Amino acid sequence: MYKTTGFISFLFRRVSGMALVFYLFMHIWVIGSATGGAEAFDARMATVQAPLFRLLEVALLTAVVYHGFDGIRLLIVHWFKVTEYRKSLFYAMFVLFILVSIVGGVPLLLFALEGN
Amino acid sequence: MAKNGQTQNVTIRVQRFNPDVDAKPYLASYEIEATADTTLLDALEQIKATLDGSLTFRRSCRHAICGSCAMNVNGRNMLVCNRRVNALLDRRGRVTIRPLPYLPIIKDLVVDRTSFWEQYLRVKPWLIPPENGAAPAGEYRVLPAEVEALKMAETCIMCGACYSACQVVAMNKQYIGPHALLKAFLRVLDPRDAAPAERLEIVGGDDGVFRCHTIFNCIDACPKGLDPTFAIETLRKLAQKRLAFAAERVERQKSLGTGRDA
Amino acid sequence: MRVFVMQRLTAVALVLFLTLHMIVVHYPPGHLDFSRVMERLANPVWKVIDILFLLAVLIHALTGAYAVLMDVERVTPYKRMLVGTAVLLGLIAFAYGTATILAFNTF
Repeated sequence: MYKTTGFISFLFRRVSGMALVFYLFMHIWVIGSATGGAEAFDARMATVQAPLFRLLEVALLTAVVYHGFDGIRLLIVHWFKVTEYRKSLFYAMFVLFILVSIVGGVPLLLFALEGN
Repeated sequence: MAKNGQTQNVTIRVQRFNPDVDAKPYLASYEIEATADTTLLDALEQIKATLDGSLTFRRSCRHAICGSCAMNVNGRNMLVCNRRVNALLDRRGRVTIRPLPYLPIIKDLVVDRTSFWEQYLRVKPWLIPPENGAAPAGEYRVLPAEVEALKMAETCIMCGACYSACQVVAMNKQYIGPHALLKAFLRVLDPRDAAPAERLEIVGGDDGVFRCHTIFNCIDACPKGLDPTFAIETLRKLAQKRLAFAAERVERQKSLGTGRDA
Repeated sequence: MRVFVMQRLTAVALVLFLTLHMIVVHYPPGHLDFSRVMERLANPVWKVIDILFLLAVLIHALTGAYAVLMDVERVTPYKRMLVGTAVLLGLIAFAYGTATILAFNTF
């Protein structure tokens, strides 16, 4: 393994990407199979709002936020000549990712711990 | 750290592998005396001359221009001839030298670079001149700005450090690789080259620039400070407007070989 | 190249769509119920946005999965099979998802 910031970003991008593909198809199926009216939908929502799913939701958020910010970084590398600042760019992206994950994740986590 | 002239004992760990004897590679430790000026290559030579004559490695020019001695030192690819032992000691005062990763090992620090050269030939690394039938009337005059754009890719010494550091190469040997894509960049942007469309088709294909994952290992590894990632990003943009770019080149070449400026 | 362009274009679209999706659907957290979804999807503009979002995310996911698999040397001989599977899977998921979005006004 050739461990550099670039490799780490690539690894996280791959893992989060594959997790999100899996999630996407689950998501389409979960919502799609609950279109039988208000009761069916709310019952399905109640199932997926069990504490375990709440924690998974936090993981989902971090995966989405990481993948998104990393993607924006790649777009920047594509459109501007910034390879010289590749490490700073990665760290900047990572800090943003952590911040947004905390801002978005902590309320979710609190909510998960409190229950309803 | 040893000052000029003073010697210091250092441990060099070298990955050894003799396919006739060993089942798999192992690390061997050697104690050598190093001064502040001892390069990694000097250290290997010293081991070979005084400690173990069977140690096998490639080297030629000893001043970072032949591209023979790229190896993996403390986990990073570099030339061993232009790096000092002194500057590369890890926390325990050792240096660890391994062959270039992800390539088949022939013996000790020598790797099989067949795939490296095969991929290199795929991009047609030579210049394809305009087919005018007749010899040009005058010299090919290239504008300073055009030369400037090529500068970044010219000084490659084909050492294989980037190729072997590339994570995509590690996963899939069908990928053309940063070294060859850098050369493709050099040819595609050269106003004297008459085949940018053909080149962009090769590098824009399944095994080309679009397989790069922008990991930057090639830049980190390059001992000449070149930027294959920028070359790849540029080729990505050009591949998307391949025919328009080729048409521009045809226009440009009308004033080429006349001995006059464009 | 086509895969790459599809992936990059949908990536830009997703940055916008996902931000919107997160804010509109999931904020504040834990208040997702049927009436809220119905209220929003009663507006045909939201239906169109959601269908476009679905299309973009499916293209992005499938091209991404394709790229991941094609990076494995042993998988590359099965390229055509992979493309076929991705297109089929995409069409099925898109039809199913669109039906879901459209279903939210028939009650």
